Amino acid sequence: MDVFAIASNWLGNAPDFAVPYALAALGLILTERSGVLALGAEGLMLVGALVGIGAQLSFGDPSLSLLLAMLAASLVSVLFAVMVILLRVNQVIAGLALVFFCQGLTGLLGTLLGWTNRAVESFAAIPLGPLATLPLVGRLFAQNLVVYLTLPIFIAVVWYLTRTSAGLRLRAVGENPQAADAAGISVTAWRFAAVLAGAALVGLAGAYISLVSTKLWIAGMTGGRGWIAVGLVIFARWSPWKALAGAVLFGCIEALIPQLAAAGVQLPQYFVLMTPYAVTLAVMVWVALTRRGRDDEPGALGQPYLREERK
Amino acid sequence: MTPEKEVMEISLPPSPAAPAPRAPLASRRYALEVRQQMAWPRQALILAVSLAIGFGISAAILVAAGVPAGELLNEFVLQTLFDRQSLQAVLFQAAPMILVGLGAAMAFRARFWNLGLEGQMIWGAIGATAVSFFDVGPHALRLPLMLCMAITFGLVWALAPVLLKLRLGVNEIISSLMLNYIAGNFLLHLVYGPWKDPKDAFPYSPQFRGFERLPEWFGSTGPTAIALALAVTLLAWWFVGISRAGLYLRFVDANPRMAHAVGVPVRRMVLSAVLLSGALSGIAGFVVVAGQEGRLTQAFYTGYGVSGILIAFLARNNPLAATVVALLVAALFVAGRNLQVFYQIPFSMVQLIQAIVVICVASSDFFIRHRIRPVVGKAG
Repeated sequence: MDVFAIASNWLGNAPDFAVPYALAALGLILTERSGVLALGAEGLMLVGALVGIGAQLSFGDPSLSLLLAMLAASLVSVLFAVMVILLRVNQVIAGLALVFFCQGLTGLLGTLLGWTNRAVESFAAIPLGPLATLPLVGRLFAQNLVVYLTLPIFIAVVWYLTRTSAGLRLRAVGENPQAADAAGISVTAWRFAAVLAGAALVGLAGAYISLVSTKLWIAGMTGGRGWIAVGLVIFARWSPWKALAGAVLFGCIEALIPQLAAAGVQLPQYFVLMTPYAVTLAVMVWVALTRRGRDDEPGALGQPYLREERK
Repeated sequence: MTPEKEVMEISLPPSPAAPAPRAPLASRRYALEVRQQMAWPRQALILAVSLAIGFGISAAILVAAGVPAGELLNEFVLQTLFDRQSLQAVLFQAAPMILVGLGAAMAFRARFWNLGLEGQMIWGAIGATAVSFFDVGPHALRLPLMLCMAITFGLVWALAPVLLKLRLGVNEIISSLMLNYIAGNFLLHLVYGPWKDPKDAFPYSPQFRGFERLPEWFGSTGPTAIALALAVTLLAWWFVGISRAGLYLRFVDANPRMAHAVGVPVRRMVLSAVLLSGALSGIAGFVVVAGQEGRLTQAFYTGYGVSGILIAFLARNNPLAATVVALLVAALFVAGRNLQVFYQIPFSMVQLIQAIVVICVASSDFFIRHRIRPVVGKAG
């Protein structure tokens, strides 16, 4: 295999690895901008992944399956929202509990419903006319529908967060809930909405892994990608575009591994499998080392709000 | 993370003496107040109710999954506690549970979210196995040497997240979790690669020799492991309850800034609590390889991370309570394995039940810490 073909394959596969990180990180940013610490991504991704495959096995329409996966993740996140927003449970405990709950639930349901290890058909690659026949970068323009939709989803969310008054309210609730409350913005309602909407995107990311990428369900198949997305959000300092750049970086690294193996480079298998986690750790350290004085974290991240409480 | 205790310590305005006439339902208003204290019988009642709800939901799920409702009590209580073999299995399972639970509790006491228990356990097991694999030291000293190596390796694996946190402010939740995945893959590398037992095709290290395994007591290694775990529990109890360091830790847990202001070496306390946590997880790894498996296997650590966190949370980071909770979790594990065999219910059920119980108990805290009071007149 020549270098040219390897590079072409690598570029062609990178989006497939990058999209789950990008969508999950975007969902997390949406939630965390409202001041709710979202550690449950790993669990919600599993829910999205299981329901995506289950719906596909039951109904056979991939678009419907993606929608149902998003809906299911939102539904499960209601549990989390009630815990942290209404019952003011410590957000770290609630997030961990959500992950454990989803891991247990999806493991149980996947086996009991017989959805494990059953291959499905889903989205096919759509070549973009003459662009797809270009040398080297051609395969970049022969992706599935969800990859193409990722960029518009990013633009929509960024536009919503930064250019609409609703987005401003959501960010106000996350920066300074007291002030937002005084201005007549319901902190509870906005945080609920942010958790549910963010969970839908995280669920979509999970469904992408199972339904679009792997095309089957295995218990625990997200393999820590939800946690990597949480790290990615910190790395991106809660900025969607930086998160997208980070996701592309991770996608490129993950896509490179099988290509190197195909090229006959002898790599110790299990050290290669460590790469995404080691890279996450490395970028977290790098961010900590280079962080400028300005702190971009949402002001009230992780703090429950209670109007009657004295500050 | 928000220092929660700071927020909670708020004095209450006296409630109005005269009850107002009842308003019509639609116009009634309620205020949510932070409650400073609740008498312990009511706290216990709330805890009991939340546990009952949690077990009720779990039972309903079990019935839905195909366990006959009448068999639940039999499977969970009678079979597990009154069957000699099951009871032995519970004790067998409880020793590492107690140790990871204590490990989690130590780190949480310093407000450090050590989610790397599994990674530290893996390294503890690798350390112990290395002593056996490379045949280090005289036979009589083999077991203590393995224990020391397990402690050292677990401790060193905990060093990275705590140093990163203290020096650079790197989020310890992510860093310790990432280190779990790295440790897990390294373990696979060892058992599939250089440490693989040449005798057969399975991915595990060569069998330990007799003097490298925990000595049997009452016909099994279970009681030995339990005795070790209980000794460690006593030490942990002395550490958090009696020693000066324990007092400092309570200070750090209550309010780190205040603790720093009055001269408590906060960073050193956090560092030592987390290293202790790593060492305890390392011992748990040692107990599993030297007590249960007798060799290094590829997935011996699964589930311990979740359970350790659960145990510490339910025990409110109290070492003695952690022992009791760990015994119950161990019983749940054994019951879960029985369910797997007799009713083909996946083992994920065990994790689901644990998560449901945590969710119920965490949520019930709300009713201990808050009161809902009708607002009289034009308030708000």
